[in-house]
Amino acid sequence: MRRGWPFYAQLGLTVLLCLFIVVPIVMSALAGVTVNVFKGLSSGLTLRWIFEVWELYAQSILLSLWLAVACLVVTTLAGVPLAYVLVRRPNRLTRMFEEILTLPVAIPGLALALALLITYGGFGSFRSSWVFILIGHVLFTMPFMVRSVAAVMSAMDMKTLEEGAASLGAGFWHRFLHVIVPNAMPGILAGALMVVTLSIGEFNLTWMLHTPLTKTLPVGLADSYASMRLEIGSAYTLIFFVLIMPLLIAMQMLANPGKKRRAASQPAEDE
Amino acid sequence: MNATAMAQPGSQTVQTEKPGGTRIELAGCTKTFPDGTRALLPFDLTINGGETLVLLGPSGCGKTTILRLIAGLEFPDAGGKITFGADDVTSQSIEKRRVGMVFQSYALFPNMTVAENVAYGLKVQKVERRERDERVRAMLEMMHIDMLADRRIDQLSGGQRQRVALARAIALRPRVLLLDEPLTALDAKLRVTLRTEINSLLRKLGITAIYVTHDQEEAMALGDRIVVMQKGAIAQIGTPREIYRAPRSPFVADFVGASNRLDGRIEQNSLVLGDIKIGLEQIGHAVAGGPNGHHDGNAGQGVADVYFRADGLAICTPDQGQMRGRVEAISYLGEKSRLTVSGIGESAITLDVDPDFQIAIGDDIHCRFNPERLTVFGRYPDARNAAQTM
Amino acid sequence: MALQNLGEGRSRPSFSRYFGMSRSAMASPATFMALMAPGVAIVAAFFLIPLVLVAAEVANGPDGWATYLVILTNARYFESLVQTLLMSAGVTVVALILCGIVGMFLVRNRFSGRSVLIGLLTLPLSFPGTVVGFMVIMLAGRQGAVGSISNALIGEKIVFAYEIAGLFIGYLYFSIPRVILAVMASAEKLDPQLEEAARSLGAPRWRVVRDVILPGLMPGLISSGAICFATAMGAFGTAFTLATDIDVLPMVIYTEFTRNANIAVAAALSIALGLITWLCLSAVRFLVGEKADLAARGGA
Repeated sequence: MRRGWPFYAQLGLTVLLCLFIVVPIVMSALAGVTVNVFKGLSSGLTLRWIFEVWELYAQSILLSLWLAVACLVVTTLAGVPLAYVLVRRPNRLTRMFEEILTLPVAIPGLALALALLITYGGFGSFRSSWVFILIGHVLFTMPFMVRSVAAVMSAMDMKTLEEGAASLGAGFWHRFLHVIVPNAMPGILAGALMVVTLSIGEFNLTWMLHTPLTKTLPVGLADSYASMRLEIGSAYTLIFFVLIMPLLIAMQMLANPGKKRRAASQPAEDE
Repeated sequence: MNATAMAQPGSQTVQTEKPGGTRIELAGCTKTFPDGTRALLPFDLTINGGETLVLLGPSGCGKTTILRLIAGLEFPDAGGKITFGADDVTSQSIEKRRVGMVFQSYALFPNMTVAENVAYGLKVQKVERRERDERVRAMLEMMHIDMLADRRIDQLSGGQRQRVALARAIALRPRVLLLDEPLTALDAKLRVTLRTEINSLLRKLGITAIYVTHDQEEAMALGDRIVVMQKGAIAQIGTPREIYRAPRSPFVADFVGASNRLDGRIEQNSLVLGDIKIGLEQIGHAVAGGPNGHHDGNAGQGVADVYFRADGLAICTPDQGQMRGRVEAISYLGEKSRLTVSGIGESAITLDVDPDFQIAIGDDIHCRFNPERLTVFGRYPDARNAAQTM
Repeated sequence: MALQNLGEGRSRPSFSRYFGMSRSAMASPATFMALMAPGVAIVAAFFLIPLVLVAAEVANGPDGWATYLVILTNARYFESLVQTLLMSAGVTVVALILCGIVGMFLVRNRFSGRSVLIGLLTLPLSFPGTVVGFMVIMLAGRQGAVGSISNALIGEKIVFAYEIAGLFIGYLYFSIPRVILAVMASAEKLDPQLEEAARSLGAPRWRVVRDVILPGLMPGLISSGAICFATAMGAFGTAFTLATDIDVLPMVIYTEFTRNANIAVAAALSIALGLITWLCLSAVRFLVGEKADLAARGGA
């Protein structure tokens, strides 16, 4: 293939854009392990900053992880049945509900937080508990779980599956738990990854809702950027990257099964 | 080496040239794709001016690759040469080659109306507005779609889209018209109608045309000459009659409909099938598959493959019969009934009879050969490999 | 339910059928309601009711119901709205152009390292706005890469992280991954035969781009542009971290609520902002279909 200058020009632009995205990530990762960022790498590498971050922000990191898991549990328990109803009974009512369900995604997190504060700000103990933040996360992430599961369910021809199971004697709950949910697993998995990733990274909502006792990882990050030295902010950011990378990779792998795997799962051909 | 050398002899020089058309020659062309697949083995091909050449073969045989080489969408590997008339176009890409191309999916521009689609090439060539409108109108009239001029593409039926694609390709008066399975996406009846239209259009224009298809009926109907392809190599080139009557290899024979097959032997100038002996001089078409693969009436001794269509056997009374079989299935085809018969040969044989003939599944039938409808490929035991590559 | 009716005259709802323990393949309405209950409860209690209360809160402000229009009537808020609109529109246009070129290039060319480049370009998808702000500081802050390079090249350190250019870069940073994914998805659906047809009619490359490729990409470009615009409008973390002089609308809402305890105004501005972003994303759904809006929204 002849590769003329247009190819290389476009390649150049692509690489430039990649550098734009990647250079600050690498820089901050490096700064997080450098003894003195103003002196640069020549001052040596150290894990000191990471340990300091842990001392300062262990609570926030752990709370974020806890919230992500709790968010996953709530969105799964509430969202999977919801998805089932939306797919099985597509009428005006359920469609309208789906619209409402998705609104928290369309509206800025700030506005959502405001609404929650205005409504429940007065309930002291509720307001300052981690449950308050969990609510925000659930509102924001549930549409993703529901959509992901609904997509798989609607591709699945549930009606025929259910009729088949019913003809073999299975009652509704048995069918739901033993036929519908297992078959919807790919959607639940993809949705789960999405929910956890979004929850860990959620900032706009959480910043408004948080109290000094309920700080999450991103809130701690903003705090460290504002008030701590560069090395600590960078080290904290590095910890965030390390947490989030495996999730992103897992999502990519789910979305693009390798060619070999796809070929292996092709049905056999009739001769 | 052997495979292509054996396949080259064919009607390269049959007089199908018409005045005014562009002559196309491909010399020493091969095509290897970047991932290493050899799409085309080395070949030469001459297309006479004004001729309609059909490239026929199963999917993956390379027929579309040859078309794209001629179009200029792909380029042959180093050493290949392509000429249009006196011009060497080997390194020209498609924008400059002045070819007209009709795609399998029509490739009509969805953001333009029918008239705009047909006018597009003329616009690119900066033809003046008035002349452009004139030519577009004439084109639409010729294809009987002038009433559709302002329609959007998604409002058209399959047959209408096909006509627009043709009009768009011809509007530029290309040197050659390239058609890539243009009728595959249409239903059977429409296919036959459009096939006839395309045929008369090509005759009328006198343009050199290359037509790719996997449908042998289409190939027979449209082609002045047919190129049968298999796995990147040319299996046979000939007129429809030659391909039909005198296939050069078992592959070609099977591809053009002779799908009944029997094993036999050749002994002393006779075909021997079990107790039956038929003199080779009676056989419709016999090819000896020796190392040089030429048509040789004296086949001598050896194994033979016998190919024939459903008219290769005739049903008869038991005392006249050469073979006996059992009816497994009957298909009523209106003009005839097609029987599927077991017991003759290894796999089931199809045999045509008069539609009113009284016969039922499970009956025994007796039949005899029509020698002039048989095609025999002789194989010498040691030349088995050479013949099998065909 | 049909099974139950066999052989009976008029069917009476049986106990088991009413509570979803039926043997038929369709669950009863009561079962459906039970399934929806948790989700509906959460949304109602923590979203619908608060929304209503927010709307009501606006009226508690000093101007009463007129506070709804404060975004238009007050000069400062109006200026903020305009600045935010301009910023978002500018970022959208630049992102579309850059990602249009790069996205098409990545889809149309196979070369070693391609998937690495794509992976790198989509990394920031899940970064919170505050991390994006930090990335801008890394690039264009006082110790930033741009500063160091410019210092080496022309002897002067260029620092713009805390100016409007820095905010712009930040917005671009989280927009590029979203738009590029959408452009690539759109480009993959293009029919190469259309381009070959145009070329067969003699069209040079630029005409093919203008007459075939751009019209083909347009729906994808419009929808990803709308998503990019809506995300930029509602972005808070980036501006917060960079603390620039630019008062984008989310920042204004934040200060009104937290520093000035001006709840009514904050509520009114939030409703206005929410309306704008919701309209954008609804337009996308209308044009392109269900999945597009969610696919790109998460985060920022």
